Amino acid sequence: MSLLSLALLIGAFNLMTFGSGTIMIPMLQAQFVDGAHVLTADQLLYAFTLGRVTPGQANVYVASIGYMLYGMPGAMASVLAISLPGYLMIPLVKGYERLRHTAWIGGFTRGLTVASVGVVLASVVQISRDALTGPLAWLVLAATLVMTQVLRWNLLVAIGIGGGLGLVLNALR
Amino acid sequence: MRLTQRELFAIFFRAGWGFGGGLGVLALLEDELITRRGLVTRDELRTLHGMGRIVPSGTMTGVAVACGYRFGGLAGTVVALTAMVLPAFTLIVALTIGYDYLRASPLFGLLPFTLLPAAIAIIVRAALRLGQDIFRPSRELAVAAAAFALTLLTGFSPVVLLLAGGLLGTFLFKGSPRAEDPGDAEANT
Repeated sequence: MSLLSLALLIGAFNLMTFGSGTIMIPMLQAQFVDGAHVLTADQLLYAFTLGRVTPGQANVYVASIGYMLYGMPGAMASVLAISLPGYLMIPLVKGYERLRHTAWIGGFTRGLTVASVGVVLASVVQISRDALTGPLAWLVLAATLVMTQVLRWNLLVAIGIGGGLGLVLNALR
Repeated sequence: MRLTQRELFAIFFRAGWGFGGGLGVLALLEDELITRRGLVTRDELRTLHGMGRIVPSGTMTGVAVACGYRFGGLAGTVVALTAMVLPAFTLIVALTIGYDYLRASPLFGLLPFTLLPAAIAIIVRAALRLGQDIFRPSRELAVAAAAFALTLLTGFSPVVLLLAGGLLGTFLFKGSPRAEDPGDAEANT
């Protein structure tokens, strides 16, 4: 895969998902992990996590994928690819009032989002087959989910404690 | 009115440090543009944010282009976008370089039962938040369930399934407002 096709693919995924880093996950997984085999599931997970633990828009994590594949030019091309559609704002500012009431845009993004919940969760199942290699990994996953979903703890705290738990239990066994 | 490129850079660079994804950036930008400098009204920024949601890219990407254009022309868009993305970009690239060092070290063997399962939990959380209002008997839940099953049972590419979901949505969910991606928005609250 060339640098240009990397940028075009990321640009296309960004366009289709309206810039959602989460919905892009199954697309990136199908293309780069299962399709071209240029990334491992672990690398994709690592990149996604970086977007969550750093400031700024979470979809900038594509820079990490770009860097893994092509170094600094890859990182810059990836961010450029997700930024360029923002220029549609300039003509949009003029025609906004008409577009705001365009019913199909709301319906399309709603349908996309709804379908993405299923596709992303299915993608989680597929990634887990690769990435969760033992009972300890499942335990850390479960503990982190309880901390974020049930106890509603801060995400960074949950990642820290979940990871720490894995370390401690690994040392004990 | 116009701003110097230096001012524009300073405003968006500070906003780029907002934690919590796009909404965290918006909060800091509000502080800079409305509270501290009085450059735009709350209504104007809200309208720009609304437009940013129509544009097929991250919402704040669109807001940065619109503000950059308004206060500094085309050059201003480049300054605003670059400044906003710089904090995240720098940290993410640095941590990606860190991954290569990590891979060569014994610490790498610890990832499968520390960071990776936690990362999967974050994706689950993001997906659940995207669909926080659909887990009840509804047409939405049926579409999500179909997409889940088709992904796992058939070889359909996610691109095809998501576009099919979108097209179906133009009939089923006509007139729905575009929701902010809560999965991205709450990134690290």
